[in-house]
Order: sequence, then structure tokens, then C-alpha cells
Amino acid sequence: MREGRVVAALGRRALTVQFRRAQLLMPTFVLPLILLAVIASGTSAGQGLRGFPDVGSFLAFVVPGTVVQGTLLAGLTSGTALAGDIEFGFFDRLLTAPVHRTSLVLGRLFGTFVLALLQSTLFLLVALIFGAHYPGGPLAVVATIGLAGINAVGMGGITAAIALRTGSLSLLQSLFPFMFVMLFTAPAFFPQDLLSPVLHDISLYNPLTYVVEGVRALLNDDGSLGNPWEGLAAACGLAVATTAISTLALKERLRRL
Amino acid sequence: MSVALALWRRSLNEVLRVRGALLPATIAPLIFMFGITGQFGRLTGLEGFPTDSYISWIVPLSCLQGAGFAGAAVGANLARDIELGWFDRLLVAPVPRPLLVVGPILGAVSRSMVPATVVLVAGLLIGADLTGGIYGLLCLYFAAAAFCATAALWGVFMAVTFRTQQAGPLMQQGVFLAVFLSTAYTPQVLLRGWLSHVAHLNPMTHVLELARQATVAGIEPSFAHTWPGVAALAGMATVLGALAVNGLHRMGR
Repeated sequence: MREGRVVAALGRRALTVQFRRAQLLMPTFVLPLILLAVIASGTSAGQGLRGFPDVGSFLAFVVPGTVVQGTLLAGLTSGTALAGDIEFGFFDRLLTAPVHRTSLVLGRLFGTFVLALLQSTLFLLVALIFGAHYPGGPLAVVATIGLAGINAVGMGGITAAIALRTGSLSLLQSLFPFMFVMLFTAPAFFPQDLLSPVLHDISLYNPLTYVVEGVRALLNDDGSLGNPWEGLAAACGLAVATTAISTLALKERLRRL
Repeated sequence: MSVALALWRRSLNEVLRVRGALLPATIAPLIFMFGITGQFGRLTGLEGFPTDSYISWIVPLSCLQGAGFAGAAVGANLARDIELGWFDRLLVAPVPRPLLVVGPILGAVSRSMVPATVVLVAGLLIGADLTGGIYGLLCLYFAAAAFCATAALWGVFMAVTFRTQQAGPLMQQGVFLAVFLSTAYTPQVLLRGWLSHVAHLNPMTHVLELARQATVAGIEPSFAHTWPGVAALAGMATVLGALAVNGLHRMGR
């Protein structure tokens, strides 16, 4: 119970700090929306290609990519903030507190989880305003937001592990383009069967493929677009694995102190 | 002029002294180039697409993107110099203020040739065509260098307006927006909705056309494809240059 309060307090602090520093949130909230707008208008002619699934709304087809992109950026923002805490000494002060060390990692990831919930709600709302239809209904929207939160924890776990391992703010800041590798090696904005052959083969091993397709199936209420349960399994698997890795990275850091 | 040259040298020294300084500006466009090509490569199958090689369509975009990021970094560096007080010392020097930013802009243009060349070579290695020959190649490099200078002027304008490194994302995203609200992914005839109108008005559409003479078979090297891009770059540089100089003159007063 006490550890739960610690996690909640650290999560709240993570969010408060991030909302105070607009320059950190700007890429997280604005960039995915800009890309969504550009891709939705710039590539919608692709619906005319043979093999493109018959979907009612192209915007609803590409918005899962935006949601997943948001989770990548939420994770990156979280890792960057953690690296800042380490570099400026705040994390060392936390280490002297009489709390379970794992709670320090979980608190940060809890903040990432809530940030992703806010983000994905905004993305889905903006897409709805601009004409997206969600045949899956409100339940599918809620499930999508939950899935985004879990996936963001997975992404946050990766960046937290890097931050804890290196303690370098500048390294985390330069990870931005590399996070896009994960996005582009999944069928984020186009159907998997229409990806280039190399990318198609790589995408089979990218857990984000299953998350993005699961969200697509949910929102479009179309099982042929993906499997929401596989998406949930991929997101949960990623979250558990990367949280474990970041906890190990914290232990390794403490051992070196 | 010797002041501008000295500041140019200082700006180039940063690349030599800071390990990996060029990596972000080089790797980001490469990742975008590979990613976008893999995602949207099949779009060339649509009627109206001027080439059947999507990588050839994207290479010039990625070259401009890399050059633009290198240019926007001038603003971030200037904001850092302002915050740390170094620029205040330069301001009291008996030289015209615009000269103080000419050196860093020249430095950025020199640096931008690295990402532009790396992206071009990587693109050619994975199948892009060099259909425009020497003339097309010159157009591509001219577009990259001039867009870098334009992005640098935008960065300087942001830096002297906000005078904080926190304006960094604005500088980068200005470049990002300018490039992507154009015919970035598909030609004008295949754009739909609002983006079609915005791309039509966006001068970057002409700049991309200028650069695409190098690699896109359907855009043959000609004066007709060249002058709109040159005029667009001149127009953007004039407007942003005037704003930057005005901002410089207002500093410390």
C-alpha cells in the first residue's frame, strides 16, 4: 500500500514536471498530430491500390500509427526526464529515501502510462473531429487508450533502462530518430502486405506490428485488420520485459555507486 | 569579412571537437528515407506518379531535410551563445551585426553537405536513379545549401526573438512543417483535401521540384523546373533574413 503511494506520488511528479516544461511536451503531442494530418492527406490516394483493405475512413486506418507513435514519444520523453533527474542529482536524493528501489522505476513508468492515456485520447478526439469514424464504438476507443498506455510503459521501460545505464541526458535526447526505426518497421501507416518485402519480413518480428494492427482492428471493428488480443499480449509482454530490464539497470547502477 | 570567416571557422571547429555532432542531422533523414520508402513505396503504382522508383522520389526530400536540420541548428547554437553571454561580447565588437551570423550560417551550409551527400549515396546504393545527370545533381546540392541557409535564418530569427534554448523545438519543427506540408510523399495530383491547397501555396513544393530534377525521371532537368525553386528560396531567404536582421538590431536596446 505504501509502495503504491510512492509510485503514485512519483508518477504525479513526473507528469507535473513534464507539463511545466512545454518544450518537452511539444514534440510528444504536436509532432504525431502533424504527421497524422500530412499522412492522412498525403497518402490517402493509396486506398486505390490493389490489396488495400476496404475501410470506411482512411483517417481511422492511419490513426493507430499515430497512437503508437505517441507511445514511443511518451516513452522517450520519460527516459529523457529520468536522465535529467540523474544528471542534475535529483535521482540520487530519491535513492536515499526509505522506499523499495523498484518503486522508483515504476513511479516513472506510471507517469508515462498516464501521459500516454492523455495523448491517445487527444489523438483519437482530433481525428474524430476531422472526420474519422470508429465503427468499433466507445468500448473500442477505451480499449485503444488502455492498450496505448500499456505500450507506452513498454517504451518507457526501454528508455528508462538506457537512462539508468548511462545517466546521459544528451544520449537520450539524440535517441529521437532511433525510436522511429521501431515505428517504421511496423505497418504503422500502411497495410503490412503493401510494405516493401524487406520491411514486411522485419515487421513480423516487431511487437509494435501486433499493437498497431490490434488497435486498427479495434477501431475499425474489423478482425481482418489485426487481432486485438495479440496486440494486448505484445504490449503486455513488452511492458513486463522492459520494466524488468530497467529494474535490472537500476540495480546495476546501485552496485556501481 | 574577416569576422565572418573567423566565425565560420569557429562553427566548423565545433564539428571537429564535438564527437558525433553531425550524427543526428545525418541519421534522422536516413531513417526517415528508409522508413517512408518501406511504408509508402507502393504509391508509385498510382496513376499520376512521375516515377516508378519511390526511393528516387524521397531521396531529394531527405537531402533537404538533413540540410534543413543542419541549418536550424544555427539557431539552437545562437540561443545557447545568447544564454551563456558569449553573444553579448560579440555584440560590442565594432562590426555590423548581420556579419555575426553570416559565419555560423556559412558553417551550417558547409556542414549540410555531409548529410546531403550521405543520404544521396545511401539512396543511390539502394536503388535510386540519377536521371538528372550533372545538371540535376547541381540543382539538388544548390537546393540543399540554399534551404540550409534559409532554415538557419529561421533559426536565427527564433533565437533572437526568444533568446532561450527552449525555442529549439520550434526551430526544428518549423523545418519539419515546411518540408512535410508540401509534395513530400506524393505529387500534387495525388494530394487530397487541405494538404493539396497548402502544398500548392507552400514555396517548398517548388524547392522540392528543383531538387527532384536529380533523381525523378518524370521531372526532367530544365529551366522551367529550376527557376520556381530558385525564386522560392530567394523569397524565403529575403523574408526570413529581414526578420533575423531586424531581431539582431533590436538586441540589447
